[in-house]
Amino acid sequence: MAAPALLLGFILVLACFSDTCFAIISFSSLQRTLVVTASHPQRPLKAGEDKITVTWGLNQSFPAGTDSAYKTIKVKLCYAPISQVDRAWRKTHDNLSKDKTCQFKIVKTPYTTTNHTSEWTIERDVPTATYFVRAYALDAQDQQVAYGQNTDAKKTTNLFEIQAITGRHVSLDVASVCFSAFSIVALMGFFFAEKRKGGKAQQ
Amino acid sequence: MEISSNGAETQPKFALPVDSEHKATEFRLFSVAAPHMRAFHLSWVSFFACFVSTFAAPPLLPIIRDNLNLTATDIGNAGIASVSGAVFARLAMGTACDLFGPRLASASLILLTAPVVFFTSIASSPVSFLLVRFFTGFSLATFVSTQFWMSSMFSAPVVGTANGVAGGWGNLGGGATQLIMPLVFGLIRDIGAVKFTAWRIAFFIPALFQTLSAFAILLFGQDLPDGNYKRLQKSGDKQKDKFSRVFYHGITNYRGWILALTYGYCFGVELTIDNIIAEYFYDRFNLKLHTAGIIAASFGLANIISRPGGGMLSDAMGKRFGMRGRLWTLWTVQTLGGVFCIILGQVGSLSASVAVMIIFSFFVQAACGLTFGVVPFVSRRSLGVISGMTGGGGNVGAVVTQLIFFKGSRYSKETGITLMGIMIICCSLPLFLIYFPQWGGMFCGPSSDKTATEEDYYMSEWSSNEKDKGLHEASLKFADNSRRERGRSVHSQTLPSNATPPANV
Repeated sequence: MAAPALLLGFILVLACFSDTCFAIISFSSLQRTLVVTASHPQRPLKAGEDKITVTWGLNQSFPAGTDSAYKTIKVKLCYAPISQVDRAWRKTHDNLSKDKTCQFKIVKTPYTTTNHTSEWTIERDVPTATYFVRAYALDAQDQQVAYGQNTDAKKTTNLFEIQAITGRHVSLDVASVCFSAFSIVALMGFFFAEKRKGGKAQQ
Repeated sequence: MEISSNGAETQPKFALPVDSEHKATEFRLFSVAAPHMRAFHLSWVSFFACFVSTFAAPPLLPIIRDNLNLTATDIGNAGIASVSGAVFARLAMGTACDLFGPRLASASLILLTAPVVFFTSIASSPVSFLLVRFFTGFSLATFVSTQFWMSSMFSAPVVGTANGVAGGWGNLGGGATQLIMPLVFGLIRDIGAVKFTAWRIAFFIPALFQTLSAFAILLFGQDLPDGNYKRLQKSGDKQKDKFSRVFYHGITNYRGWILALTYGYCFGVELTIDNIIAEYFYDRFNLKLHTAGIIAASFGLANIISRPGGGMLSDAMGKRFGMRGRLWTLWTVQTLGGVFCIILGQVGSLSASVAVMIIFSFFVQAACGLTFGVVPFVSRRSLGVISGMTGGGGNVGAVVTQLIFFKGSRYSKETGITLMGIMIICCSLPLFLIYFPQWGGMFCGPSSDKTATEEDYYMSEWSSNEKDKGLHEASLKFADNSRRERGRSVHSQTLPSNATPPANV
């Protein structure tokens, strides 16, 4: 009687612990070993049109062998602090599994010891905001082990703005206006018809 | 489908059995017979459409907030705006129904707000977003026309059920939209549209649905079992009361104000949750938009049985324990809703959250149904005004709650939910103060005063001048019928004494 309950309890406890064992990688535990630069036109960039060229590589001042665990590089577009104000869905968390700073993937490629460059056209679903670029080095289990970013630790330099597409189209505008006008006209039409019928006794 | 006609006159035959006012005495859900059941289906479907439109934005907010560059404050303001328009619109709708009939009043409102839903597709800033949500929210005033129409079509034994089902199934729209909009959005996006365009196209669906439902009302509906207002007023079959007197007797009845407050903490809470719950699940548990929508939908979908259930529970309690039973049940159910709301804000796991939310939804929505089990008895002359006050109070509750707890980033959503639960419990306490001299209140029995009868209560709404003119006849009939609210044991005692105090000649 007690044994199954104990077993269940044990499994539950294990489940809780296993959760904590795997998930928590904190950003503050990562070393900034990568050097990342991003080049782009010096004006607000347009989503869907402009390109950003990202270059990354290992910072040579680190001892050799630092990058032995790096298998993949994932480069992401991240929100600058000014675009996170009053927007809890973009909040920075130290726990990387909860962190929402970097929501757009620029590129994910295998790690090479030489510097790597990639050109990325800004996707059309990127919202209007101020951004910076960060690259994570991932190990064979796809866990983050190091990072680099094109801005400083306080995220104040080298930020750039992206303007989103509006999503509006002329055809949509026209359809909205037409359907709206139709509703109003139909209502007036009904009133008019009611008034005319009102003279007759029969319904 | 029996035809039953009043033997005394050659009346048009109705598909349902009717009383002397031609109001149906039975409620047959699966019939669409004109005029009664047809009016029921037209009214709940159109009310449903208005709910779908009003709450079409929340499930798509994760997309819209990026497209329009909204902050949490902007989103909170728009949510408040969406439920504030209906506060006064509901009051006005009661008057409009009186003057023009529920058919024209509701169809006009629906067709006038449909363009706003179309214009949501071209919103381009936080301000325009707030404006479209504000004006779309006016359509929620169709609640009043729904209840009014049902009260005109259905007789006392089934009017509670008709009102409860029509109200509940209309409120379903708030849940269905959390499913429909992400689905429509997903379809349009998969066809090839970009996210920021797909959500705009998606809004055409609720807008068209709303427009079509209004057309259906105008083409197939009628105000009263015997016909439409215009024709009946011309033939003198319909009496007109004075708006100023009706309004005065409504707003001076303190019970109407208490119910307005408490309705703000069941229906108002329901509206608030409709606005915040999808985003809450999406953000807190990192779900996909589609999944968050499904979970959020289950809250509103509970309306299919919970609100009607509340109405039926109120009727059952009223039968056995009278008005005191109705009040106690209302207070208990609403307070339990508050308790589960507190728990909802505290639980941290997804499955527990969903389970608690579903339980919470049953209690909160049943409380809405239970409230409208008490409302019809507060006043007979000013039923429309009391209903409008209570309905409007529901929206005020939604506005106040969102302003205090869900605007900007002061409280996290989970803290806001817990605090809202505490507020529900506090704001349900005023129910203790409701007292009917003829039936009692929660803590006091009926007054033993000789002048504390149903007739005295309802006749107090008429001046002696008006009584001389015989304008109070309907209220007298109602007072007699309402004696049931004494409860079973007391009712059987009062039956033998047929001495209804002759308040008039």
